[in-house]
Formats: sequence, C-alpha cells, structure tokens
Amino acid sequence: MIEAVGLTKRYGAKTAVDDISFQVKPGMVTGFLGPNGAGKSTTMRLIVGLDRPTSGSVTVNGSRYAELKAPLREVGVLLDAKAVHTGRTAENHLLALAATHGIRRRRVDEVIALTGLESVARRRVGGFSLGMGQRLGIAAALLGDPSILILDEPVNGLDPEGVIWVRELTRHLAGEGRTIFLSSHLMTEMAQTADHIIVLGRGRVIADAPVATIEAMATGTAVHVRTPDSERFAAVLTRAGGTLTHPEPDLLEVTGLAAPQIGELAAQERVVLHELSPVGGSLEDAYLALTQDEVEYHAGGTAAA
Amino acid sequence: MSTGTSTGMSTRAPGLSFGGELRSEWIKLRSLRSTLWCYLIMVLLMIGLGLLLAGTISAPASGTPALSHDGQQSTWVRIATLGVGFATLVSAVLGALVITGEYGTGMIRSTFAAVPKRLPAILAKALVFGVTTFVVAFVGLVITALVSAPLLPDKGITPDFGDGKVWVAVAGGAGYIALLGLLALGIGLIVRSSAAGIAAALGLVLVVPIILQILASVTRAAWPSNIAAFLPSGAGSKLYAYPGAAAESLTPGRGGGAGSAAASAADLITLDSWQALLVLIGWVVVALVIGGILVKRRDA
Repeated sequence: MIEAVGLTKRYGAKTAVDDISFQVKPGMVTGFLGPNGAGKSTTMRLIVGLDRPTSGSVTVNGSRYAELKAPLREVGVLLDAKAVHTGRTAENHLLALAATHGIRRRRVDEVIALTGLESVARRRVGGFSLGMGQRLGIAAALLGDPSILILDEPVNGLDPEGVIWVRELTRHLAGEGRTIFLSSHLMTEMAQTADHIIVLGRGRVIADAPVATIEAMATGTAVHVRTPDSERFAAVLTRAGGTLTHPEPDLLEVTGLAAPQIGELAAQERVVLHELSPVGGSLEDAYLALTQDEVEYHAGGTAAA
Repeated sequence: MSTGTSTGMSTRAPGLSFGGELRSEWIKLRSLRSTLWCYLIMVLLMIGLGLLLAGTISAPASGTPALSHDGQQSTWVRIATLGVGFATLVSAVLGALVITGEYGTGMIRSTFAAVPKRLPAILAKALVFGVTTFVVAFVGLVITALVSAPLLPDKGITPDFGDGKVWVAVAGGAGYIALLGLLALGIGLIVRSSAAGIAAALGLVLVVPIILQILASVTRAAWPSNIAAFLPSGAGSKLYAYPGAAAESLTPGRGGGAGSAAASAADLITLDSWQALLVLIGWVVVALVIGGILVKRRDA
C-alpha cells in the first residue's frame, strides 16, 4: 500500500506535483499515466524519499520510506535505468546493493537469471543498451523480494518480447498480493497491464479509477455512418449541427450528433444507410480527452481532429 | 485498510545494517577500474621517485664530516616519502571521484534508495575509502623505504630499521595521503561534479600555496606563510618529516610555501606534528560535515 496525502513538490517557481492524494492498493497493478512532464517521476522519487516534498506526505506500508528498517525488502524501485555507475559490472552493481541489506549472493544470481542478464552480468554497464539497462534496473528492484514494486516507465526501450515479459511479471507479482505501481505515458500499454489507473496531468490527478471506468469515460463520442449517398447526407448532417470527417468515400465519422438523431435524419431525407454505429471509445481516446487540456506543450497546436 | 500488504515477504531476512553498508562500499570501491589505476599509479610513483632520489644523491665529499645518525635517518625518510606529495594528488582525484562518480552517473539514487537516511552510506564510503587509501599508501611507502635502503650505504647512509621514528614518519605520510583524499571526498560531496570536485581539491593543495608563496615574497610579511602552515598541504608536510635534524636533510622541505627569507623566523608559525594532524583532521571534518548537511537537505 502506498498512500499520498496532499503531496506537493515545487522546484523554484515550477510546481511539479500539485497537492495530489491517492492510494495504491496491494494485489493489483496500478498504472500511473500521464504525458511526459506531468510529474509521474517526481511523484515516484517523493515516494522513496529521493526528493523531499514541499508539503504533504507519502507513506509506504504506513511509514515514511526513510524510516523503513529494510527499505529494499519492502519497496523495490526502478526510477530510471541510468541510476547505475557505468564503470561497474551489472553483477557488482547488484552485489553492492544487496550487501547493504545482507541479501545473499544466491538472490543476486536469481534476479540476474530472472531478468535474462546472465550473458552480460560480468560486463560493464556503460556498454549496455537501453533495454539491458532496464532489465538491470528491474533486477535491482526485485533484489529484496519486496512487497511493493515501483517501476517508472519499465518498458521504455524494451523490445516487444521484453514488453510482454514485464507485463506478465507485474501481473504475476500482483497476483501474489504485492502492490505494483507502474508509470507510463503509453495508454495502450496500460490498458493491457493495469487493473486500476491514476491519470496525472500537470501535477494533478485527473482521474483515479478502474480501467473499465476510464474506458467508459470516452464511449459514445463519435458515430460511424456508412452510406452510398455520403455527399448529400454529409451536407444534411452538417446543417443539423454535426462535425464530420470523411475517412473513406462512403464513410462519415460524426461527432456532435447521437446515433438515433442521425437515423431520424436519414429517414426524413430518404438516405440509404449501410451502417450506423456508435464508436466505442478506446482507452487511448479517453486518455487524450482527459489530458488534452493538461499537456504542457502541444505539438503543432491541434492535438485531435 | 486492506490486508495482505506484506505477506511475510519483508520480515524473514536481515535488514539494513552499517556492517552491510561498509561491505557495499567496499564492493563499490574495488569494482571500479579508476580505483585500481589510482592506487597502482600511487604506489609506482612512490617507489619510482624514492629509487630515483636514492640513486642520484651523492655521498658527502671526502673530508666533510659524515651525517649524524639523525641526519642519515632523516635523509632515508626523505627518500621513502618523496612520492607523498604526488600521491596526495592521486588520492585527492580518487577521493573526489568516489563520490562525484555516483552523482555523475546517477548511481547516487540507487545508493540513497537502499540507504534512505543517506549519512550512514556517506560515512561508510568515507571509512572504506580512508582506511583502504591509508593501507595502500602505508604499504607503498614501506616498500619504498625497503627497496631504497640497499642503495644508501654507498652514499654514506646506513638505514637503521629499528628506528621507530622512521616508521612513524612513514605512517604519517600515509595518513596525510588518506586524509587529503577524504578532504577531496568532502569537497566532492559539496560540489557533486567530478570536474569541479577535482579542480577544487587540487586547487586547494597546489594553487593556493603558490599564491601564498608569491604573496609572502612580495609583501615580505609573515602572514602568508602562517596561513600556508594551516593549509592541508602545509599541515600535511609536517606529518611525514623525521623529527629533528631538518637542517641536515639532503632535500629541501616541501609544501606550504614556508621559508620566505624576508619574514623573520620568530614571526613564523611552525606546527608540531600532532598539531598538524589535528589541523588536517579539522579540514576533513569541516568538509564532510558541510557535505553531510547538504546531502541530507538536497534532493538526490
């Protein structure tokens, strides 16, 4: 269990995390989602005491991280793959971390095997690819067999096989009753891994709900209309207040009008319809809709059509 | 609150301990190439410079009186410790790197995630580095004293291995090297960057004494030399001198820029070796305390 109450972090004039409160519960994977710069990494650093909150507090299993008797055995953390001295081998890096908590060499070998690093364990980390660095970071997080796992963008730089591996590993660990807190800026990845999602935008919690609820937030936003008479019907729909895109010659994507309204208009105008279907919003749409106003830097100005 | 938070996963095994932190820092220190290189260079410099001096000094010309026992021992100590000045530069670089390397690579975040109270990790690091450096430097200086000894009887010097004061001076040299490394570690902790840490530490050891020396000769006053006596290099130079018989030594005294001809000897402060040791420890403590306060306060 991770619990934040009124957590705030300011760097000078910039507020990175703005009075957020949330709980991350055991036995499930909680996704921490938000655009880059939303404050996800800062929040994770605050949880493990690397940054000091400006105000508010955050606890793990009921205590501040710094007060844990055996932090690595309670919380495993992957902050970023670069928290490693590049001149040291992966094995020595893990041995040095393990030594602080009296973790045995056998466990070091175990996490090396678990993360598939056997062949590179005795190589210096400076030559590692991003993906190998991520695996080493995950190995370090698993060293103490912790009940809470905090992973900041764990699939960043992993190949598709690695992405699936992380997904299965985190689901498995959550199934054992552990608390898994996983950040990503990729909605699709979250949709497949998380049970519960906390969406962060510009340092604030925008949504905190089960995956299904987040998905539901975006349903019914558009209607697909397929008709051989698309030119004429498009004009009708526009007059009625709809906003249209025309992705295929006989397909219209309509927003601003509900499906029943469109059906009635078609009957009035005697237009033949081949399809009339509300488009189920994807998690990606929900995410875009939720974070649209919160993204700090828009690319090019218009985010969505 | 829901149950099953930590299902016994975190209670069965030992937790964080200072002994574990010491072991961790020892693994870190010995698993970097920079450590091995610095220690190797340090020892080779000591032996090489010692042999060079032992081989090139000339015996007193016939007719002049032979050196006294203390004069001979003092010269031997000079030879054995000729590399100390250079060794301190190497240990300063290594001392700064030991901590700034962690900041530069991001390793410090892993270190502080494992040891969230932070100061025990820093203390363990300082202890492991200080003791290791002392041992390496002491061994290097003893080897230098031993391998240079056979060259000396030809020069009118008969090394007296039973003279405890020789080994105290050798230990003092090793102590100076280790303490200067620790001072650089403290500076590195404050500045957090390898380039700035090494520059600041070497500046304090190399550049400041020269500036004071210039000031001393320009102003013809005693104060620049007196300040220099309290610098790490000035105090350190007192730690590995053979007591007494300094005037008879065959090589000139080093460090601190003392010895302005203009200032009268009465105005010049000369530290005893125990005072010099306290001064040097004072530098180290001040740097580490400031660094420790900053480490505790700053975000990592």
